[in-house]
Parts: sequence; C-alpha cells; structure tokens
Amino acid sequence: MTSLLFLIPLSILILVGAGAALFWAINRGQFDDLETPALLPLLDADAAESGDASERPS
Amino acid sequence: MIATCWHCGEALPPDPPHANVGGIRYAVCCNGCRAVAEWIAELGLADYYRLRKGSAVRAPDPRESAESAAAFLRPELSRHLVRARADGTSEAIVLVDGMHCTACCWLIEQTLGRLPGVVEVGVNAGARRARIVFDAKVLALARIVDALGRVGYRALPLDRDALDDIRQRETRAAQKRLAVAGFGAMQAMMYASALWFGAFDGVDDVTRDFFRWLTLLATTPVVFYSAAPFFAGAFRLVKVRRLGMDVPVALAVGLIYAGSVVEIFTGGPDVWFESVSMFVFFLCVGRYLEMRARHHSGDLTDALARLTPVFADRVEADGTLLRVGAFELVPGDRVVVAEGGSVPADGVLETEQCRVDEALLCGESTPRQKRRGEALCAGSIVAGTPATMRVTRVGADTAVAGIVALTTRAASSKPRLARAGERAAAGFVARVLVLAICTAVAWAIVDPSRALAATVAVLVVACPCAFALAAPAAVTRALAVLTGRGVLVVRPDALEDLASVTHILFDKTGTLTQPAIAHDRTIARQGIDRDAALAIAAALAQGARHPLARAFVADAPAALPAVDARESAAGRGIGGVVGGRRYRLGRVDYALDVERHPSHVKDAVVLACEDAVVLADDGGVVAAFHVDERLRPGAHAAVARLVRAGINVTIASGDARTRVEAVAQRLGVAAWKARQSPTDKLALLASLRAQGARVAVVGDGVNDAPMLAGADVAIAVGTAADAAQAASDIVITGQLEALAEARAIARQTLSILRQNRRWALCYNIATVPLAALGLVAPWLAAIGMSVSSLAVVLNALRIGRGYQRRATNETAVAGESVDTQRALA
Repeated sequence: MTSLLFLIPLSILILVGAGAALFWAINRGQFDDLETPALLPLLDADAAESGDASERPS
Repeated sequence: MIATCWHCGEALPPDPPHANVGGIRYAVCCNGCRAVAEWIAELGLADYYRLRKGSAVRAPDPRESAESAAAFLRPELSRHLVRARADGTSEAIVLVDGMHCTACCWLIEQTLGRLPGVVEVGVNAGARRARIVFDAKVLALARIVDALGRVGYRALPLDRDALDDIRQRETRAAQKRLAVAGFGAMQAMMYASALWFGAFDGVDDVTRDFFRWLTLLATTPVVFYSAAPFFAGAFRLVKVRRLGMDVPVALAVGLIYAGSVVEIFTGGPDVWFESVSMFVFFLCVGRYLEMRARHHSGDLTDALARLTPVFADRVEADGTLLRVGAFELVPGDRVVVAEGGSVPADGVLETEQCRVDEALLCGESTPRQKRRGEALCAGSIVAGTPATMRVTRVGADTAVAGIVALTTRAASSKPRLARAGERAAAGFVARVLVLAICTAVAWAIVDPSRALAATVAVLVVACPCAFALAAPAAVTRALAVLTGRGVLVVRPDALEDLASVTHILFDKTGTLTQPAIAHDRTIARQGIDRDAALAIAAALAQGARHPLARAFVADAPAALPAVDARESAAGRGIGGVVGGRRYRLGRVDYALDVERHPSHVKDAVVLACEDAVVLADDGGVVAAFHVDERLRPGAHAAVARLVRAGINVTIASGDARTRVEAVAQRLGVAAWKARQSPTDKLALLASLRAQGARVAVVGDGVNDAPMLAGADVAIAVGTAADAAQAASDIVITGQLEALAEARAIARQTLSILRQNRRWALCYNIATVPLAALGLVAPWLAAIGMSVSSLAVVLNALRIGRGYQRRATNETAVAGESVDTQRALA
C-alpha cells in the first residue's frame, strides 16, 4: 500500500504534464484543422518524390 | 459520358489543348487550365487530382491577375491588409474562393508553403480561410494571391482585423475544456473504482479519505473549468427569469459537487465525484460537436467580402486609370467597371447606358438596362459595356452592406422557440429538487446522519444526464445523417422547427429554376440542323460571363467547334468565325448587323425573334433561341413530396408575373406571388406568421436574406449567395429533393427524442424512490446513470435508418430527369 504514496503523486505529475503539453499544442494551433492531416498518411510514398520534384528550379 | 476538362470539369472544345502531367497527357478546356494543371504537377502536387472531391475553378485570366498584383503593391492597400508582427515578419489572412474539400486545403497549404519567404501557413477548410505568416522583404502579398491564382483559386485578402478570429478562439477554448474534462473524468473514475472495490472488501478510513481527496483533486478543474460555460449560461438564463437546459445542468453539477465535498469533511459514506466529471465530459463532447457544425457555415464578414470586389479602377485627375483597393474609394470618385466586373460601391452611372445583372440584389433573372444618371448598386455585375460611374456611397453605407446588416439584425431578433424539451427537463428538475428537499427534511427527522447522503443520492440517480444527453445525442446523429444527404444544418434548433413547419415559401429564380434554352421553341433556317446551330452558339458563348451565355454552354453538346476572330459588342452580343463563316449571336439587331444589312429587318423570321437570342451569319438569321427557365433537378419531386405531406407551398419571386405563373403551374403550386421586393416578401412572411403558420423559407439570393432571417426555418440552396447562407439555418448542397427527406428525418428525430425523454422519466420514476429511501449504493447509482445515458445514445443511432436512399428508385429518377429536361413553356 505504501507504494501508492509514491505512485499516485507520480501519476498526477504525469497527468499535469500531459495536460500542459496538450494545452501547448492547442495554443500553437495544432488542432485548428482536423481535416487536412487525415489525408497526409495517404501521401507518404509520393511525398518523398514530390519533395525531389520541388527542388527542381521552376 | 461527356468529355470534360481534366482540371475544371467544363465541356471540352473539339480540339482541346493537353496538359502534360507526369508523362500522361490529359485534355483540358483552355490554356489557362493547362497552365494550372502543369504548374500543379511541376510543384509535385499532382496528388491533388487523386484526392479531391470536386472540380477546380476555371483558370483565371492571366492579364486580370497581373493588374491586381500591381494594385497589391500600393502601400495604402498593404497597410490595410497586412499586419506586422513583433519578430519582423508579416501576417495576412485571405478568404479562398473555390476551396471545396480537404484536398484543396492540402494543395493550398503545399503551394504557399513552397513560396520563398513564407514562414507559416494555416489553412482552415471549414472557414475557407488561409492565414499566412511571411517575410515582407522577400515576398509580397501579391505573389501569394498570384500563386493561389495559378493553382486555380480566387484569393480575397481580408481586412487585417480578421486575424483576430473569434471562431479560432472559440475552438481552442472548447478543445481545452474538452481535454480537461476528459483527463479529469478518467482520473476520477480510476480513483473511484478503487473506492468501490474498497467498499466491497472493507478499507481503512485513512486510505478511503486519501482516495476521496484525490478524486476531489481530479474533479475540481472539471467542475470549475470545463463546466464553466454551463454555469455562465445558467446565470444568464436565471437573470432573465427563464429555465433553459443550462439551469438544471448547472444545478445538478453544483449540488452533486458541493454535496460530495461536504461528505468528505463529515466523513459520510459516499462521494459522487466520478459521476459529475463523467457527466460534464459527455456534455462537453456534445457542445464541441455542435460548435464545429456551426463554424462550417461561414459568417457575414466573409459574405460581404465575396459580394463586393477587392479592387476598383479609379479615374485619376489626369484621366488615367489606377487600380486601387475598393476601401480607398470616397464619394465623388469616378470608377470604371470592366465588362463582367462587379461594381465596387454604390454610385451613379455616367456612361450613356449599360446592362447590369442585379440578380444578387433584386432576384431579377435577366440583366437590366440602365441609363445615364441611374443608380448602380455595389455587388451587381456589369454585363455589357464597361461602365463609368461616380461613387456616391462606400463601404458600410452601400445597399448591399445594408442588406447584410438587415440580415444580421433580423437574425438576432429571430423568434426563438421556447423549447418543449427544455421546459420538460426544467419541470422535471424542479420536481426532483422538491423531492430532494422532501428527502432531506424526512431524513433530518428520522435519522439526521443519513440526510445528506440520501439527498445527494437522489440527485445523482435523478441527475438529468439522460435528459441533458437526449437532445444532443439525437441532434448530433440527425446532423450527421443529414450532412451525408447534402443537407447542412447550421443551427441545430432548426431541426425542431423544421419538423413542425406548416408552410414553405419558395423563392423562384435560382432556387426552383435555372435559366435554360427552350429547345422546342428553337427556330432554325431551312436546311440547318438545330443541334448544329446550338453547337455554334455555345462555341461563341463559351467563356462569356453573361448568364444567358452560360445557359448556352450548359446545354451544348460535348464537342464544340473552334472559334477564331472572336469579337464582343458591349452588352449586345458576341461574334466569331466558325468553320470559315462569320457568325454573330445576340439580340436581333446586333446579330443581323442592321446597320450594314437593313434589308434583313424585313425578314419574316425577324418578327418572331423579338425577345429571342438570335444566331445569324451574313445571309441572315440562322436560328432563334428562346430562353426559358428550367426546373432544377429534384424541384418537382421535392414540391410534390411536401404537398403530399400536407405542407402549404407558396412561391414568392421578384420576377415577372408570367414566368412565376408558368413555374407554379408546372410544379402544381396554387399559391404564388410575382414582382415581390424584399420588403413585400417580408410582409408576406409576417402575414402568414400572424395567421399562426410556422413558415420555412427556401431561397438563394441576398435579397432573400432578410426574409430568410425572419423565417421560422431559413433554408438556402447550395448555389446560394454566401450572405443568404450565413443567415440560414439549413443549407441544401445536393438535390432539392433532400428537403422533403430532411423534414421526415427531423420528425423522426423529434419522435426519438420523445422516446428518450420518456425512457429517462421511467428510469427516474423507478429509481428515485429507492434512492430517497437510502437503498441505492453509490456504484449502483453511477452504473444506473451510465446505462440510462447509453440507452439514450443507442436509441439516437436509429435516426435515418428508415430513410436510406429511397430516392434511388430507378423509375422515379428516370421520370424526374425527363421532367426537368423539358423546358418550361
């Protein structure tokens, strides 16, 4: 039972850290657009190619 | 399948240019589209074509964008649009027209992100806005607008005040509240389960109190941070002496929390922190979903930005033209509006005469002739000659701004229903409160030590959770179902209103009808095939912006002949050489070139062509086309289904009597009103409502906006001007027939809502007495609460089941399309 006295405060610390990280992400606008990022995994293979293509002078 | 442009989806000319994308050649309609497609491919963004859901906008005229780019360099304009940031970068926000889907959003982000000097790009697909942080020393705003133009979007830079986006603040605040409620509820539940098991196994008081304090710690931010809007809402409602849903919710949350705190200090048997934090979490989820649906609809600032142009061509003192920002104009300035351009401010016409398309303002379907000295309104489109005008009113003083403001006012004074559901819940909560007080008093007499525990148990068991969830669960589900059918519900309350509607008022032009060529009244010269004549006319009309020209193109066969030596005469017609022959299309006097061939006037055919659009060559009239209105797909079915359902359908239009009557007869609508000004329409609406009718208005133009705002339910069709959409409760983006379906689903939603409330009531009637007697253990109360909530949610998922794609009935669709193909006589 005594381990609880150590583990519970630790869990609270982690929770507060997670909350702070989430607030930071929200304030940086990472959750403003929930639609576009859903498409990105579909592009992985091609994104590498397109990266090369864009380096060409246009 | 008609061959269409790979980029914009418009009909292809017979010998189309080809865009070379990744080694494959695709046919496109014009060189503009070819440039856009190849540019997109060159940027390595060809994925866009794979991911997009709709065609792009036809490529803009490159000359036009070059002139606008020059205007952006003016310091007056950039001061207005660009905000300098503390770190030396600049920030601007643009409204992007032509953004349909997330693929568009991605393309825009990628394109802008690759411009040198861009620091950060944020594209919001819902709001159709892009926020760009850039280095003004390296990159001008003009390049940004130009880059968007090159990939096929029209960028409208917004006033820099738009950067302080209310919607963004609202979204972020809601997300934080949701996160806190989620974390808090999870933790509270975890600690509480330890307490529950402790209750089974026996646990010493110190450990128990330790866990109680932990639960309190987890729940406090949930109650004071996440639930704050409910308390604020309840406070506002109580101040105006009303009982909305926020009141019982705030009361329950507050009392359960306070009761549990008292339990901790007095060492009573139970705490209910986990119930209250779970409750708040569910509520936050519901609110967040509602908010997202609301944000997708755009607002009035954006609407006004779309209706009026960004630039104006001002006549300087020395007689030259200078492109300036429209906001720079002052009364007294002289402005030239190009053919097809929109008027930047209210003013007086100085050119001898011109034709103006005022469809946006008065609903007139054909352009009106204006003479020198007549008033021009901002937002209307000059259809013929370039027009010179003297500015009389600018910005917020213009007629279109007035209409938008009127809309805002009407929207804020919208008669809100005293919602039956809320009243029921409020009444229910009032009864629970009375019961809780009775329990407290009774236990205080019998056994004071158990009074608080029993009272709070009554509140937990009878917590209006199922009641509070009944509406959001049903409404959220209904919104999702309707969105899938092309019906966007902007104001969730509109569902309740739609279900109880008795009258529907339709606007005509653009809502029930669209302009079309009357094929059966087309007269062609002997020996000439009607379709061939139409193909020539459409080829000439292609690219012209006049509404009639668009009707020709829409009706044209797939392959159009090539046109050389195009000419266009000032509001009268267009001409060109097709197959070696010179043709002219337009009003009869222009087409026949009366000045050069006066003999043609005596032609018998001419007499029949009085109000027709005439195609002529040097030998005289080739064909005469009559332009009528065609019913929109689904209009007939929608009206028929509504009438069958016992709804009174009325048509109110600003158009001429004969046209309105024809449409009304065709649709089988007995009640119709022609020549209605916006004020007349509002009066008609008021008189209907005075007779006790519940009225839905279906419209599209800005002139409908006041009427839409005053209606019980305002419904805009997908092509609607954005001001109308901003004032509307429901937007139909698909077929008009979805309207009838939406009403059926709204009624189903209400009936499921009633079932849910009845279920919640039964559950409470069964459990509250047990709780009042002190027989319900806390874990049992919490489980009971969760199960009742779950039942409510599962029941809500049934919405839309009975209406799955009924319209796919083959014969019905075939019949309908034949119907709509026939032009109105």
